[in-house]
Amino acid sequence: MTMNGSVSGIMREVIAAPLGGLDLRQHYGHHQSPAIRAGGLIFCSGMLPIDAETGERCHGTLTSEAHVIFRNLKLLLESAGSSLDRLVQVHALIYDSIEYDVLNRVYRQYVANGPPARTVWTAQIEAGFKIELDVIAAA
Amino acid sequence: MPAKREVVAAPIHPTDASLGVGAAASAIVRGGDFLFVSGLTATDLQSGTAMRGTTASETRQILANLKQLLAAAGSSLDKVVKVNVLIHSMLEAPNMNEVYARFFPDPPPARTVCGARLPDGVKVIIECTALA
Repeated sequence: MTMNGSVSGIMREVIAAPLGGLDLRQHYGHHQSPAIRAGGLIFCSGMLPIDAETGERCHGTLTSEAHVIFRNLKLLLESAGSSLDRLVQVHALIYDSIEYDVLNRVYRQYVANGPPARTVWTAQIEAGFKIELDVIAAA
Repeated sequence: MPAKREVVAAPIHPTDASLGVGAAASAIVRGGDFLFVSGLTATDLQSGTAMRGTTASETRQILANLKQLLAAAGSSLDKVVKVNVLIHSMLEAPNMNEVYARFFPDPPPARTVCGARLPDGVKVIIECTALA
């Protein structure tokens, strides 16, 4: 049994940030890994509209923030050998339910066929962002 | 063969209510290779009473309880894959993060933090998924 392993032999594997900007621990001190692979799944930390190169916050409309998030998510998942086509479950946190239709419009562009299970709710998101995606994908 | 689904008995106190989960939920359920832990609130494990305090003190109590709970279920904090933290105000996120960083190993699990309206004056709720 190793530090990150388990008696059943299933391992927990850290997915590193594919680009420096996506390491929120380095940029903002958040005590979290970008993603963890375990048991055939990839668990992503809450995805935020952050510039993948610089780590700068990309505040904007819900639509523009969602585009940044999906681009980042694509980078992260593909670096781990997965993809947007392999999403299993998505929690979409938005700042106001009035934007629900706006979310759907942009969301559909990225998860076209056989979309994943999804729940949307309103929450307070860090730094005043308008959207955050909490994602589990098949590895 | 269907994957295993099993409620993991609360190890510390006779009822899961003492973990701040309430009588309607199990504190931990095993499904397949994973343990799913209910959203925990700050609770004294011996007496079962709620421990309201600051965001930092509630975070400390919850994670101390989580550590015991996972150990009793044969897992541990370094097998946690994902944590969801709900706090009463995102202004308190740094206070939570500072305490949180003392409990989880390096490299830490994936995590999502958001601000939400929590019941009964609770300041923090933490739920997680761990490898069994």
